[in-house]
Amino acid sequence: MSGNAVYATDEYGRPFIIIREQGKKTRLTGLDAMKSHILAAKTVANIVKSSLGPKGLDKILISPDGDITVTNDGATILDQMEVEHQIAKLLVQLSKSQDDEIGDGTTGVVAGALLEQAEALLDRGIHPIRIADGYERACNIAVQHLEKVSDVIEFDKDHTENLFKTAKTSLGSKIVSKCHDQFAKMAVDAVLSVADLERKDVDFELIKIDGKLGGSLVDSRLVYGVIIDKDMSHPQMPKEIKDAKIAILTCPFEPPKPKTKHKLDITSVEEYKKLQSYEMEKFEEMVKQVKDCGANLAICQWGFDDEANHLLYQNNLPACRWVGGPEIELIAIATNGRIVPRFEELSPEKLGHAGIVREISFGTTKDRMLVIEECANTRAVTIFVRGGNKMIIDEAKRSLNDAICAVRNLVRDNRIVYGGGAAEISCALEIQKHADEISSIEQYAMRSFASALESVPLALAENSGLSPIETLAEVQSRQVKENNPRLGVDCNLTGNNDMRDQFVYDPLISKRQQYLLATQLVKMILKIDDVIMSGEIDA
Amino acid sequence: MNSLMQPQIILLREGTDTSQGKGQLLSNINACIAIADTIRTTLGPRGMDKLIVDSRGKVTISNDGATILKLLDIVHPAGKVLVDIARSQDAEVGDGTTSVSLFAAELLKEIKSYIEEGVSPQVIIKGFRKASQLAINKVKELAVPIEKSNPDEFREILEKCASTALSSKLVHSQKDFFKKMVVDAVLSLDQEELNEKMIGIKKIPGGAMQDSLLVEGVAFKKTFSYAGFEQQPKSFKNPKILSLNVELELKAERDNAEVRVEKVKEYQAIVDAEWKIIYDKLEKIVATGAKIVLSRLPIGDLATQYFADRDIFCAGRVLNEDLSRVIKAVGGQVQSSVNDIKPEHLGSCEYFEERQIGGERFNIFQGCPNSKTCTLVLRGGAEQFIEEVERSLHDAIMVVRRAIKSKTIVAGGGATEMEVSRYLREYSRTIEGKQQLIIAAFAKALEVIPRQIADNAGFDATDILNKLRQKHATDGNQWFGVDINSESISNNYDNFVWEPALVKINILSASTEAANLILSVDETVRNPQSEKPDAAANARARGAMMAARGRGVTRR
Repeated sequence: MSGNAVYATDEYGRPFIIIREQGKKTRLTGLDAMKSHILAAKTVANIVKSSLGPKGLDKILISPDGDITVTNDGATILDQMEVEHQIAKLLVQLSKSQDDEIGDGTTGVVAGALLEQAEALLDRGIHPIRIADGYERACNIAVQHLEKVSDVIEFDKDHTENLFKTAKTSLGSKIVSKCHDQFAKMAVDAVLSVADLERKDVDFELIKIDGKLGGSLVDSRLVYGVIIDKDMSHPQMPKEIKDAKIAILTCPFEPPKPKTKHKLDITSVEEYKKLQSYEMEKFEEMVKQVKDCGANLAICQWGFDDEANHLLYQNNLPACRWVGGPEIELIAIATNGRIVPRFEELSPEKLGHAGIVREISFGTTKDRMLVIEECANTRAVTIFVRGGNKMIIDEAKRSLNDAICAVRNLVRDNRIVYGGGAAEISCALEIQKHADEISSIEQYAMRSFASALESVPLALAENSGLSPIETLAEVQSRQVKENNPRLGVDCNLTGNNDMRDQFVYDPLISKRQQYLLATQLVKMILKIDDVIMSGEIDA
Repeated sequence: MNSLMQPQIILLREGTDTSQGKGQLLSNINACIAIADTIRTTLGPRGMDKLIVDSRGKVTISNDGATILKLLDIVHPAGKVLVDIARSQDAEVGDGTTSVSLFAAELLKEIKSYIEEGVSPQVIIKGFRKASQLAINKVKELAVPIEKSNPDEFREILEKCASTALSSKLVHSQKDFFKKMVVDAVLSLDQEELNEKMIGIKKIPGGAMQDSLLVEGVAFKKTFSYAGFEQQPKSFKNPKILSLNVELELKAERDNAEVRVEKVKEYQAIVDAEWKIIYDKLEKIVATGAKIVLSRLPIGDLATQYFADRDIFCAGRVLNEDLSRVIKAVGGQVQSSVNDIKPEHLGSCEYFEERQIGGERFNIFQGCPNSKTCTLVLRGGAEQFIEEVERSLHDAIMVVRRAIKSKTIVAGGGATEMEVSRYLREYSRTIEGKQQLIIAAFAKALEVIPRQIADNAGFDATDILNKLRQKHATDGNQWFGVDINSESISNNYDNFVWEPALVKINILSASTEAANLILSVDETVRNPQSEKPDAAANARARGAMMAARGRGVTRR
């Protein structure tokens, strides 16, 4: 088949045009198409491979605008690479959707390895769909096996050691491993303070991760409350308010205006004066209303001019202006206050309460932030990340997000499998056992699936500086001999391969998802035998 | 001498392309065959998918004949006929779109040699009509009625049909899971209407296919919300639901109105009046006792906070289709005013909750009193993936729907085609004249379906076909078809490869019609393209230049 889409000639040898602009379309069919897909997917998978594991390395990505991202997170790497190839894009989407779902994952590596294995099978002349079927069967076995080898870990509000260890595993490979314990603790505390343990639901909207340049990662902390990147509207207002009663306003501090288009003609001096006094009166009234209901801090979604600002200061009412909508909401939730849309509706019940509100400043810079702590409702929390440069902060935020997701997954389902490649090796062994019982061609595909799973411990060992094949062979034989599915690759070189002793946990749902998603993706890619691409439209 | 002087008569515009006669007919046939070749490999349980990238870079991966043909953007006039029948098949029965185009092309292919030999197209058309009539009658005769009296059995039959439709799709390994979902979905509809629009399909990337779920009731994505939303309660038991088409925002009541304020004092009065309008609305809504307020139009921050204060859940900017499905499920009516709302205008359901599914939050209404609707929530690794799942489920839903409506089924996997083919071949021997050849050709063309299924699975098609012919020639084996699992043939009726008879009938009649249409064309007159895209672009550029010049100094 030529490169053209559909090219046919009639009896007289005249070509006819069947498809619009067919000269510009390119087409790839059959085995060629599959090979090209596999190559693309493999390339992508190889890029993320070296970032796997606690000794995995980071990548620098430079965006078209020159922004630099340093990261170890597979999904972020793929996302920022802006791949062009259609199949590679699918891989990117896959890892992204897994990142959204469970926040962590090495799916790309598994999928890439599966495709690599499929290539060999295709060369042997096995029908792609038979390969896909074999993978599917193997995947089912793997998922069932995962459930068998999984362990339940116990935790409650007071016993969080296990959650803490999971968070540590997740953070192990990241840049923040310097202050490992601290970050893991922050992640666990943050999740537990917003989690609804009965419904097993964690609302992520209540966890805010904020960052500020300066200081070091050690200075990061978890605030049981809200941090807003704003300061008091007047520099002489108090910097610290104890036992704050907060009026949360979504109306501007100015005389109310009708929304309908209006016009006021001022014809005389008296009228003008009246207007001025009316405005003055309004300001005073507003301040009075706020004061009367007992508030000692006003947080305003909109702004107010300097006149109002001065008035507020004179009346000893600290205020904060131009606070964004989501922050307003967070403050309202955290302080158990109600958002008030106009001054007339202010009442003592609607005020929010916080133990302490203070303005913090950083180093020598003039940047200030408002911290609202000891709130009436501790369900809203903010993690405040400090770091030497923007890249570190961003990466720390991403790592924290992964850790939070890992903890969240455990809150949802407290079954775990062991990391460090232990689960993969165990599944691979199980699949190989089952493969021999199958009489059809799928047997080959299943064996390939098993070898593809082994690519994870292989990559882990390689990244940790171990000899990959030797390590894998050793762990594999020990797993069989000792019948212990918890043995994995000893990445930290502690001399102990038992992942339970090293506390390397992975949530079961996350592992399960990885396998299922990777298999589905591979299946989808294998099923495509024809690619029709339109050329660029000429401008 | 005189003839030389005769002026040349120009009948058609210069550049008009005319082609006519037998050559044209053959050329049309070739075009159709070329198109059918493109989708040939998608047929059957081992059919492959196509990845199509359109000029805007949008990627579609599909196995659905109609979708592929639509995206190919075919301009050949005869080729378009194939696209049209595939589309009409999609609209009419939803499944069998590949088969219909493939069969039409195969009919043309079989008949091509007769055309070359000079058989009049009209004779062929007549023969095809006759053959198709006979074939349809035969299918009707073969069809097995569905037993509706036993609900369990009936359900089983529907599940079988759904799983046959799903077997060629990406989801085939999960077909046991999805067939239940599809049948549940269709059975939850109003059995009289069976309006498939009442089955909502929501796609959420992430998770595995198996995480997809069926919500008996309505689910839709959390709408855009304002500050204060998080303070609203997120779950209710037996709530009253009010659906509105009212904007609940503090805003100018009239867009173009202008108020002239005479005195400073009046200023406050106007402001108060505006607030009163919105508060009146909100009070009236609260007075109805509704616990959930939905609106097609925005619900502003003021209203959101007002509702949050009164423990009412609200969602603004609900999509039209979602809202109408909510109404179907919970009862009540959409109100376009907040005045005079009576209890009967409100709907209710047993349980409402906002739940996290994957990365999205969903509003879910369950246990609806007049539940004539349901929602499929599909999960999957990539967007294209979910889209293909959606298309596959759509096919299955349509098939189940058809099965309920038409009440008869036949065996799939090429079994019915083989039986009809045998019948026609036998029949053709009983008649004399050219019709015999034509009907025999029709019979041969029918064999393309089993042949292609076998081909796609990598089997030896000739071998399989011979086995099938032999089986069908003996009595009582009318349901033998291709068996993918054993690389052989089997009784597909016993293997539960079932399809609604209507799908087959529609394939037969639509394909014959299309083939006849193409055969009856013997001349194409193509006008020169009035404006080539390039020329148009140039013209526009020139126009712009002229306009630019026009804006400059006025000439003269």
